[in-house]
Order: sequence, then C-alpha cells, then structure tokens
Amino acid sequence: MKHRLRILQAVLIFGVMLFLGSVVISHAMIDGCQSTSFNLVAKQGHILTSDGDSMLMWGYALESGCPGESPVKHPAGVMLYPGPTMILNEGDTVTVTLKNELPQQAGNVSIVFPGHKVTASGGVPGLLTREAPPDGATTATYVFTATEPGTYLYRSGTRPDLQVEMGLVGAIIVRPSLGPLYAYNHLDTEFGHEYLYIITEMDPSIHRQVEMGQWAFIDTTSYFATNWFVNGRNFPDLMADPFVPWLLTQPYNCQPRMHVGDKTLIRLVGAGRDLHPMHLHGNDFETIAADGRMLSSGGGAGPDLAWKATTIRTIPGQTADVMWSWTGEGIGWDIYGHSGGEVHPAGAPGEGIVICNSYVPGNPTTYFDPYNNEYCPDHGVPFPVILPPRDAVTYGAFYSGSPFLGGQGELPPGHAGLNAAGGFFYMWHSHTEKELTSNDIWPGGLVTFMIVEPAGVDIP
Amino acid sequence: MKKILWRIMVTLPILWLSLGVITANADTVVVQCPGDTNGDGVSEDPNIVCMHISGGDGFSRMGDGKDLYGFSFGLVPAGTAPGAVLANMGLKARFPAPTIVLKEGQEFYLTMTNVGMVMRPDLFDPHSVHWHGFPQAAPIFDGLPEPSPTANMGASYTYYYYAAVPGTYFWHCHVEAAEHMQMGMIGNAYILPAQNELPNGTDLNGFNHQTGYKYVYNDGDGSTKYDVEYLLQFTGFDSLFHEAHIAVQPLPFAAMHDNYPMINGRGYPDTINPDPILNQEGFGAQHMSALISAETGQKILLRVSNVSTTHIYSFTTTLGVPLNVIGRGAALLRGPTGKDTSMQLSVLTVGGGQMFDVILDTTGVPAGTYFLYARDMGNLSNGDEERGGIMTEIVLTNP
Repeated sequence: MKHRLRILQAVLIFGVMLFLGSVVISHAMIDGCQSTSFNLVAKQGHILTSDGDSMLMWGYALESGCPGESPVKHPAGVMLYPGPTMILNEGDTVTVTLKNELPQQAGNVSIVFPGHKVTASGGVPGLLTREAPPDGATTATYVFTATEPGTYLYRSGTRPDLQVEMGLVGAIIVRPSLGPLYAYNHLDTEFGHEYLYIITEMDPSIHRQVEMGQWAFIDTTSYFATNWFVNGRNFPDLMADPFVPWLLTQPYNCQPRMHVGDKTLIRLVGAGRDLHPMHLHGNDFETIAADGRMLSSGGGAGPDLAWKATTIRTIPGQTADVMWSWTGEGIGWDIYGHSGGEVHPAGAPGEGIVICNSYVPGNPTTYFDPYNNEYCPDHGVPFPVILPPRDAVTYGAFYSGSPFLGGQGELPPGHAGLNAAGGFFYMWHSHTEKELTSNDIWPGGLVTFMIVEPAGVDIP
Repeated sequence: MKKILWRIMVTLPILWLSLGVITANADTVVVQCPGDTNGDGVSEDPNIVCMHISGGDGFSRMGDGKDLYGFSFGLVPAGTAPGAVLANMGLKARFPAPTIVLKEGQEFYLTMTNVGMVMRPDLFDPHSVHWHGFPQAAPIFDGLPEPSPTANMGASYTYYYYAAVPGTYFWHCHVEAAEHMQMGMIGNAYILPAQNELPNGTDLNGFNHQTGYKYVYNDGDGSTKYDVEYLLQFTGFDSLFHEAHIAVQPLPFAAMHDNYPMINGRGYPDTINPDPILNQEGFGAQHMSALISAETGQKILLRVSNVSTTHIYSFTTTLGVPLNVIGRGAALLRGPTGKDTSMQLSVLTVGGGQMFDVILDTTGVPAGTYFLYARDMGNLSNGDEERGGIMTEIVLTNP
C-alpha cells in the first residue's frame, strides 16, 4: 500500500512539473559573481567533507559580497572554497583587490591570472606578482582586460605548493560578445545549459598541521591526496543546492541536468596539482576548447579541430570546454516504453499530435520528433529483455523502478526514492576510481551525476 | 587436505544460495538469447550475439609468482545447463574478463550471473556490467548501481546493446567501482566497422576496398586499414589491497597504490607467454597474452585502454616508428567537419578510462624483437621485482 501511495505521489509531482515545465524554457547557467570589481580577502575557514570531517582551508572571501548581486547569494567576508567564480564579459576591464587576514605564518598572499595580461600595483613586491602581507590592511591590486572569451582560473602566486592546496584558487568565465549562450564567438559553440567542474584534491595531513600550528612539519613534497572535490564539495554534498546555509564556505554545487537533445557545455578546470581522467557516462562529448581557446583551424571556422571521447584528462592548471548531448539515438528500443501511436500529452509542446508522426524511414531529417527530440526509428520498439524479479536485484537510490525515461515502477520498502521524475542518471566521475572516495570512505570524492530529465521537468 | 578445504569453501556459499536466501536456485539462472532455438546459448540469427558470463572471484598469478586474490568475470561455456552454472563457475574468474567482439549493427545479449564470492562468503555484493564509453547508453544497461538494478548473488541479469558505433571500448563492473575494479573486474571490448563488410572492389574515395581488408573505423578512405590487431589493456594491482581483502580486513582505499602494473592482466615476462598463466588452483585465469607479432611491412593495430584505479600510464616502443594515434574514446580522430586530427607521437599517455587506437606501420623496420614498455619507468616492475610490469615484445619476422 505504502509503495502505491508513493507511486501516486510521484505521478502527481510529475504531473505538476509537466505543467510548470511546459511554460518555462530555461537555461542553467554557472553560479558566480558577475562584476568588474572584486574586493577579495584571503581568510581562514572550515569546510565539511563528505566523510564527516571538518577541514581548515584558506580561501578568497568577497570582502563585502558580490557587488550589485540581487538577491544576495554570496556571503560577505566569508572564506570561500573555491574562491568566487568571476563571471566576466569579453572586453571588461576588471579590478581585483586583495587583503590578507591569514595568520602571520602563512606569509604573503597574491593572485595570478594565467592567460591574462595583468597590471599589479600596491602591496609589496613578490616573486611572481605584487603580494598582500598578512596585516589585514595592505591592499594589492590587479587589473586586467578580459580580451578572450573562455574558461580560466586564478590562484595564489605565492608559495602555491601550500597556498593552492589550502584553497586559494577559483575560476573565471569570460562570456563572448556573441552572447551569454555561446562559449566562444562562433555559432557552433551555442549551448542550452552550462556547468562548471573545478577539480581539486587534498592531503588532509597538511591542513591538520596548519590548524595545529605545526608549521615546521609541513612538507608539501611528500604530498599524498586522499580527498577530491568538484567546486569545493565531495559527492554527495555536491548534489545539494548552491548557497545552502549548512555549506556556507562551499557555496557552489555540481548538479548538471538537461532535457533530451539539449546541448550542455561543461567547463573543466584542473585547479589542483594532480591529473584526473574525467569520464562522462551516457554518451561521448566533444572537446571544443582548451585553455580559453577554441580548437579551431582559424579563419572564421568554428571548433573544427574538436575531438570526441568519453574521458578527458584534466591537467593541473589547464581548462577545457566540452559539449555533451544525449538523445538515445540508435539505442534499439523505445526509451519511453511507447508501443507506438501515443500523442504528446496535454500541456506539453505538440499537445495532441501523434509522436513521431512526421518520421519517414530513410530521411534522416525526420529522425527526431520536433517536440521532444525522441529518436523516431526506435519509437515503439519493445524493450529487449526481461528484467530479473525485484528480489533478485538491488535497486540503487536513483533508480525510478522503471527502465524508461519518465517512467515509474514499484520500489521496495525502504528505498530512498530519489528519482521521482524518472530521469536518466549518468555518472560523471574520475576514472582513477580511487578518487571516488573521501578520506578512505566510499563513496565520495570526484563523483557527480548528470540527470537527463523527461520533458516537463523544469531545470532551474 | 588443502584441496578438501577448498572444496568445502567452494560448496558452502552455493549451499547457502540454494537454501533460498534470495530465492536463488537453479531456475534463477536465466539466459536470454533470442533466436536460440535449441538451447545451446547460441542464436540462430547471425545478427544476434549472445554471451553468458559469471561474476565472482578467483586468483591471478603475478609476474613474480605471487598469487593474488581478485574478483572478475568468468566465461560460462555455451550450452551449460542452468543448474550447473553456480556449481561450476566458483573461482573461475578470468583476469582480464572475457573479451567482447561485435560487428557494427549486431545485437548483443550479455547475461551476467552473479555466482558469489567463494573466498568471501561474508560478502553479499551485487555485480554489474558497465560498457565503458558506449554512446547513447541508457541507465538500465549502463551497469551503474545507483540509477539501475544490479544482480544479487545467484541472480542473472541480461544486458542488451545494439552495436551502433564501431571502435575500441572496454567494460567493467561498476558496483563499488574503486574496490571491484581494483580487484580485477575489467575486460576488453570492441566493435568492428561495417566498412569491413563492403563488396570487393568498392571505391572509397579513391581507395580500392578488397574483401578481407580490415579497418578500425568507417573512415571512407581506407586510412585506418590494418593487418594485425592486438589488445593492450593497462591496469595494476595494489597487493596490499588484495591481501587485506582475502584476510577479511578493512580495505585501504586512501592508501591504494598499484605496485603490480600489467598489460592484459600480466606483468613482463608473462606478457609474452602465449599460454594461459595457471594460478594456485591450476586454473588459467590469465588467458590473454600480450605478445605482439607481425611480418615486416605490416600495419599493427593496438587497441589500448587503461583501467587502473590509481595510475595514468605512458608507453612507447623501440621500433623507431611513430605511434600513429588514429582513434580516441571509440571515435575516429577527425573534427566535426572532417579535418584530420590524428597524432604522430613517440609516447602516448593513457589515463584511466581512456581508449586509443594506435597503428604502427612497420614498413622499413628490420625483422627482430622490439619492446613496447611503460615510459614512466617506475611501472617496469612486478612488486619488488624489477624488469617486469608494463612491457611486452614486438616480434617482427620476414614474410
């Protein structure tokens, strides 16, 4: 009885989402601070790791929040890991100031912006750039113009072996003049949704030594990472919403979602010191850019040197932009479990029209239904196997109980029921599978899930 | 005496399974193979390929002679009676797992029966099949334990794949992947392109196709034609992890660090042994040689993948010809408008989860024995024993 209620509940929720979704066409955009003026302070603070620990970090805080942000999301004066994601427009001249409220033993702090021509002033001279001494008052200032669209990072340029490990790193996104829904100044780089993957790792012993004041014992040459982060959070914390109060110092999440046929841009940032082979389940991707430059032969061409794969190594300090989509093309069975002849449901695009009614075998331009992007040659093709009985298998928490997109099925008692809409979940993770742990605890670390949502489920 | 103990340990979990804890009895071993009209496990439809594997445990012998405990998949002989699967497949895990080879356009029904872990009767882990890199996959056949069902011990799960896209892939269990992959649940997979089947004399943009020609992809110009092909799957074992496992100890995830780097489940010199390597049970779990042999002037295709849970590997050869990398991640190295993006390298770095297609053109290379080896030379060892690990031989003979 209980599971019947749950099914009913799920169907109701799905119906409501179907109704809401039919009127909203939204584009998920990366959370960050859009400004040309960033007043940063290097601060100490703690983060939560998914193994249940609390680790001391150093990070860039926004001294008085994100200028002009409404409603206010970024907390003011709070250490952030990673630092605030700077969202810039091509051509912006950006001023970043830095003060240093770290302990005296941390020494000076600075920021470098690889890929940008920076004019530094104020503060005190340092090896790579001007630095802010740990007096909480002296300000170093960095000015640069965002001349090239793309994905970049910024980090400490002072004792980076320790300071970047401690958390002084963040991402920069420069939007092209063509528009915010393009990765670069070419029509072929248009996307429907974008998600950020800032990938870092941690050797907890270093953080404990800093917290305990054991400065003489800190040795970054014997570094051995045992925890891994996307946008400053471990799995499963990264699936929670952004800006939740219980993760105040870790404001950013990583929960990619899209609909069938959408194009999703993933901006990868290798922000730590190790390589991580990031593997996308579900379909192959196209790498369209590296280090803020489109993979193009030039002369007005788009990303014509893009390469396909399902795994990409994120290289320390490197960024890459990959484009991903999913339709189920060629899967060999109907992903909706249709038997043919169904119409698009009430409230949905194409309401009342028979699904795939314009499909002409042999004419590839008709292969996708214009309303829900269903791959029509497989429309109505029956599911190919009989699944084992429920008590012969273990159901994962993201299994809806049905193999079909938007489907529902009977779930065993005690099942978490975390996929009420019947979305398709695809793990996007490090294929150095050891990194799917957080400090010896499985699962954790570099695990995220892309959810391909059925039509009607709104994506914020 | 030792043998009797083994037997008891083998039968205990099978007894437990057959007592019906999870309603497992002979009837639950269900093999789905459409078109198999006589029950021999082979479909009479030539476009349907069926395979039956077991998921369980076993032993592998390392290059220094040490036997390590592991998990992997066994190959259930076609036509095995359902009632005999659980009884026969204990400790028959192969390392690497059986290789999947399909032709583009074929339908593949892969039944995996979880036969339980003979040496770890305290465990109740499900197993799964994840076809790594399969384009346009659906969760139900993606083998991820979070968004799909996975087969409990005693159960059989049939996965379905329509082989739409040719290329080099691999497969593995995705249940508790850091553990199950470190324990060895990995195997090779590739799909041959439809271009191989073209009629004799077909013109491919100026290239004349002949019956019997083999290509890596549907290149449209013969540029991926090769003469002989070899699978090179890089991986590694962390012996401390495996020893902790069979000793029923907490598993050292944070400390995990492979110390037995391998090609196709073997460290040099076992890599050049053409025969199966027998383990302490006398079973040839390590069924795949990594010896590369060709005639001078031939083009050698290497289907390369890395499934290590801890290491990224770089390799090179002593042939003196470049590694012509023509495919990556089961895709021809060409841009979206057809631009050639293939690479001529002397060293190729392969991260975990990456696959590459490499052609070695031996034209002009004299007959002789050459080496293919890990250029990150710390991986040329079998545990503490040096001159092992990721190395094999390329033997060129005159035609």
